[in-house]
Amino acid sequence: MTTPPAHEPLLDRRQFLDSGIGLGAIALHHLLSRQDPQPASIAGKPPLRPAIDPGRPYAPRPPHFAPRAKNVVVIFCSGAVSHLDTFDYKPELIRRHGQPLPGNEKLITFQGEQGALTQSPWPFRPRGQSGKMISELLPHLATLADELCFVHSMQGKTNTHGPGENFLSTGQTLDGFPSLGAWVTYALGSADQSLPAYVAIPDPRGKPQNSVNNWAPGFLPATFQGTEFSANQPIRNLARPVDVAADTDADTRAFLQRLNQRHAQRFPGDTELAARIASHELAARMQLTVPAVADLGSEPAHILELYGADGGGSPMLDLRTAYARNCILARRLVEQGVRFVQLFNGAYQTGGEGVSNWDGHKDLQAQYSLHGPVLDKPTAGLLIDLQQRGLLEDTLVVWCTEFGRMPTFQKGALGRDHNQNGFTCWLAGAGVRRGCSYGATDEFGYQAVENVVTVHDLHATILHLLGLDHERLTHYHNGLERRLTDVAGRVVRGILA
Amino acid sequence: MTADCARRYRGEKSPAATTFLAQHAIAAAAASPARWIDAERPTVQRGTCRRTGMAPALDLMHPMRSRSLATVTFGALLRTGAACLGLAAAAAAQSPPPAPAIPSPTTHWAFRPVQRPPVPTTAPGTTPFANAIDAFVATRLAHDHLQPSQQADRVTLIRRLWLVVLGMPPTPDDVDAFVADAAPLAFERLVDRALADPRYGERWARHWLDVVRFAETNGFETNRERPAAWRFRDYVITAFNDDLPYDRFVKEQLAGDALGNDIATGFLVGGPVDIVGSPDPVLTAQQRADELDDMVSTTGTAFLGLTIGCARCHTHKFDPIAHREYYAMAAMFAGVKHGERALPMPAAQVLELTELDARIQTLEQQLAPFVVAPVVTAAANAPGALRPPVDFARNEERLAPVDARFVRFTVLATSGAEPCLDELEVWAGDRNVALAENGAKATASSTLPGYAIHQIAHVHDGRVGNEHSWIANEVGGGWVQLEFAKAERIDRIVWGRDRLGRCRDRLPTSYRIEAAIESGAWQLVASSEDRQPFADAIQAPPGPVYRFDDVPPAAAAQGRQWLAELQQVQQQHKAKAEPPMAYAGTFVEPGPTFRMHRGDPMQPREAVAPATLELFAPITLPPDAPERQRRLRLAEWIASADHPLTARVLVNRVWQHHFGTGLVSTPSDFGKNGARPSHPDLLDWLASEFTAGGFRIKALQRQILTSATWRQASAPREPALAVDADDRLLWRFPPRRLEAEAIRDSMLAVSGALDPSRGGPGFSLFDVDRENVYHYHQKEDFGPAEARRMVYALKVRMEQDAVFGAFDCPDGSLVMPARSVSTTPLQALNLWNSRFVLQQSSRLADRVRAAAGLDAETQVRAAWRFVLQRLPTSDEAADAAALVATCGPPALCRALLNANEFLFLP
Repeated sequence: MTTPPAHEPLLDRRQFLDSGIGLGAIALHHLLSRQDPQPASIAGKPPLRPAIDPGRPYAPRPPHFAPRAKNVVVIFCSGAVSHLDTFDYKPELIRRHGQPLPGNEKLITFQGEQGALTQSPWPFRPRGQSGKMISELLPHLATLADELCFVHSMQGKTNTHGPGENFLSTGQTLDGFPSLGAWVTYALGSADQSLPAYVAIPDPRGKPQNSVNNWAPGFLPATFQGTEFSANQPIRNLARPVDVAADTDADTRAFLQRLNQRHAQRFPGDTELAARIASHELAARMQLTVPAVADLGSEPAHILELYGADGGGSPMLDLRTAYARNCILARRLVEQGVRFVQLFNGAYQTGGEGVSNWDGHKDLQAQYSLHGPVLDKPTAGLLIDLQQRGLLEDTLVVWCTEFGRMPTFQKGALGRDHNQNGFTCWLAGAGVRRGCSYGATDEFGYQAVENVVTVHDLHATILHLLGLDHERLTHYHNGLERRLTDVAGRVVRGILA
Repeated sequence: MTADCARRYRGEKSPAATTFLAQHAIAAAAASPARWIDAERPTVQRGTCRRTGMAPALDLMHPMRSRSLATVTFGALLRTGAACLGLAAAAAAQSPPPAPAIPSPTTHWAFRPVQRPPVPTTAPGTTPFANAIDAFVATRLAHDHLQPSQQADRVTLIRRLWLVVLGMPPTPDDVDAFVADAAPLAFERLVDRALADPRYGERWARHWLDVVRFAETNGFETNRERPAAWRFRDYVITAFNDDLPYDRFVKEQLAGDALGNDIATGFLVGGPVDIVGSPDPVLTAQQRADELDDMVSTTGTAFLGLTIGCARCHTHKFDPIAHREYYAMAAMFAGVKHGERALPMPAAQVLELTELDARIQTLEQQLAPFVVAPVVTAAANAPGALRPPVDFARNEERLAPVDARFVRFTVLATSGAEPCLDELEVWAGDRNVALAENGAKATASSTLPGYAIHQIAHVHDGRVGNEHSWIANEVGGGWVQLEFAKAERIDRIVWGRDRLGRCRDRLPTSYRIEAAIESGAWQLVASSEDRQPFADAIQAPPGPVYRFDDVPPAAAAQGRQWLAELQQVQQQHKAKAEPPMAYAGTFVEPGPTFRMHRGDPMQPREAVAPATLELFAPITLPPDAPERQRRLRLAEWIASADHPLTARVLVNRVWQHHFGTGLVSTPSDFGKNGARPSHPDLLDWLASEFTAGGFRIKALQRQILTSATWRQASAPREPALAVDADDRLLWRFPPRRLEAEAIRDSMLAVSGALDPSRGGPGFSLFDVDRENVYHYHQKEDFGPAEARRMVYALKVRMEQDAVFGAFDCPDGSLVMPARSVSTTPLQALNLWNSRFVLQQSSRLADRVRAAAGLDAETQVRAAWRFVLQRLPTSDEAADAAALVATCGPPALCRALLNANEFLFLP
């Protein structure tokens, strides 16, 4: 069977010509998906690749089936958050504090030998109607216990940050594969045509451990890469250069469009030329819309207060405010219909291990005493704000980290080593159960033992909530029909509302 | 990653779907058959599809691939509603797919030997084709009642030729000369000139570097630079420019160390590698398995067009590659490790070293009278004896080679006061990796305050003696830690208190030296435990110590001068003694290779001997075959003229970069899942010509470039557009957007800013923070250092240039045999607003003014000639002159550098 190569035009010229703006593609694809057979078996399902109009790559495209969520916000905590000091309460860890991890006395993990089981420095308390036990490290998020859906049985397959972040963000431990957000926007486009479909908001301190690979397009067309900007960092090359006058800019752009149109007349029906002409128009619109959405000046005081964006004067408060402003930006993007927002907390750029991210090897209590408050109030504020504006109806929020940490402290240190065998993520909003705790680690929190959820499963579930069959969303690359979930993944039905 | 390819959804279609869709097909066909049935192919024949290499007009299994569905019928379908879906179903239902079967060498076209087909002949009485390519293409076009396009005009031809072959447009003079050349073979001569131009290698090397996932950083979180990786890039450029026969090119990349080209094995280790070390054995095994997988998979796709990597976890589902064969291939590479390798020293450098050696010898003889006689204790020679006690001047620790990124020297006791070290050298073979100039960083527990000459930086500044030493601020203790630029295999540590022998105090007498691959995971590598106890009286310095205080002043002055010169010459010697390095891998004799159950490196099964794939004349080596022989035999097997895949795959790649798409549109998959060739006979004819002619790539390119097929005009035409919208049958030359590198290079070329210097270390598009993890910040303002061709930009994994990354520029993390060609608003913004493009607009405007003076119309003509190599039409000229009048030449230049005509291959 022939397989179209990845570099073919995204859609044929004639189609573009006929349909003008590519409605044909949308209509047809919609029909295809509606007439899809029941997903009775995994094997042998033909791929359902989106039909992309090269002139409108961000045009909304229909999902495979009725979606529960339209937009996604992923909050990614870089450095590996300890589940044992946040959301995964283990009384046995308190009881056996100071004793070796039974059955694993000689365990060698990422940095070496293990010391004794160590209870969290932060006490846990029951929260909300559900009585969910959450630590004092995150008091604001704890008040939302009844809204969140915890997955305590996450399991990764690498205990190194780079591959771990790749795995969470791209479904592969190696570099170079398309990110979750790229797959989603490749499949669905975006509701808004004057903003990027996929925005990556790095931590104010810098990029995460595996840098831009977390929002890379991989082998998908570059159209679908995450556009990087934040409340304090605009999109590169968006603004008119300061030394070009507005009139000159406008005249030159108008001239360029006439030049390109004259050229296109010599190639009637060439979609790529038409697409480039259209891309200039979209770019011009972005120049107006992006600064507007990124300008937080219109946010009232009570909103700033809700997110904790109103403080300053201490390192914690300065950082919290900077991250909180990114959280507000995330809400504003979702409000405008941006399909996928990836919000980072923690960076590797300004201090490395544990200092500016969650990698608490050496002195967990001191380091998390900073990271906890920076994350807590702004993230809780984002959830509350999305909810009060009704946006959580259509928006899925996923909080994740590359892996968890050990129930023991490292030998000779005051922190926890990497642990991919069990960790916690949570989801909230569109399509997920509220106040739910799914799966469990063992009595010490070392390994996921009940209803284990792999990273592929998490991805499959996110796609499912967006109305996408993770086994059918594919792209051909280098001899393989690739998908986000590789050859694995199953939808975690137990967390669906 | 366990690259399990088991269920790549090439699957069986669902019977329910077929029925459902077939029902709709009837309704659809009734609705408006003529709108979407391709008149040329009223029915779908799978065989036809295979033969033509086109997507089948209709394909239920992959509906979005159906040519009719994806192309011809879309617009029509919009008007006829749901109908076309049904047609797909009906067509597929008529022609149910065969059950998946593993093709054998006798059934799959690409595994059969290349048979040279006859060149099609023309009808009697018509002119025979001058170029065989045209005969094959015209025959195929005639089959579909299509005509080729007329030949492109000369300006288009030279522009296309320059962009395809050299990666930048011609100068106005080049164009004028060609347009005026009345010779019958003017174009053929132009092709020869282009292929002989050294810019050709710079352009075409980039294509190969995509195929072999070349980059100059490690990838993953640390993503450190590989400062010696550029040599491989230069090797590939030179190979293309010198027209190195492809079979030789293959062999050198796999086993160049055995063939007199060490740099070429940069291919083996060109991929990403995770250097984050850990004592965790599972992680370590997985990292090594991933390294080997990268080598096996890249070798498979690059040279053979085979997805061998699919057999890592299980037998290949589509191609005849058993699970065991994957590990037999992995055994071929089992002794290959990532890292730099010393290259043979150039003759001039050897000569200089010899001269320096002679000078050192002379000086040492002159200094001999000043040497303090050494005292040797008898105990030192006794068997099993302790090592000599620590010495003030120089102490050497020989280690079992160990991989380390950190070394820590901890002082437990001294001969008195705070400890002092004048230099701490850590050697990896013949390189002192501790030196600051080699990127190492030093930290210490403390430093004696108030003394510039005793700062921590002196402990690894390459200078010895008390004047350049570190002293701790702790009596009898303290530590120094070195962090190397990258993990090193260290085997020797040398340290002293005062190498010049003047100071005899502050000596660490009890110490521990530890190494670690990751901070914190210390491993003891040497200590004073196995030395004789220190006693000041019996010191015997291993190197000569000179004394000048017991001779007359004049002799002492002469002696000191000789000593100063000796030290200087020794420094020069040390600097020159560094051999050139290349990131070309290191080789060790491997142990046995095992088949890993389900690809899990913790589940070894039976041992597997190194062997080639069985699908063609297999070679099996003994399990303990020498490392180099493994790669050499593999290389010979791949580079065989009889190998059914090697020549076909390469010929197809070369074709692809002339026409945008290969004859096989899946250039790295010639297996059962790959596309069928659009022109199978042409592919085989080219492959057989290629091998018969000695694997010469330039000869192949000359054949392609001089064909009428390649010289066709590119304008679309009806009815051909309706029949073959994707131009797979080549009824016109397919225009396409230029790649990132060609756009950047072309801008620099037309603005006049291009620095044409060739080869050597590259430039960086990033400012780099070299912490444990490297951070790359995109540069926005560029100077002359960044005005070289983009192939010379340091290729950083994961990171992208701020302007051109958005143009589907791969980062070398994955093999990229065919780039996406996407169009995004960010591309438009980058070209419209970036400092880079504005700088080039400004340079170009200067050039225009210099050439055309102040008259706007003359300026417009000059700008058009520089950028588009033609004159403007009258409409264009008037429009542009008006823009120049109001906004000035830079505005016009900015627009022209953003014009589609500039950015597209004509």
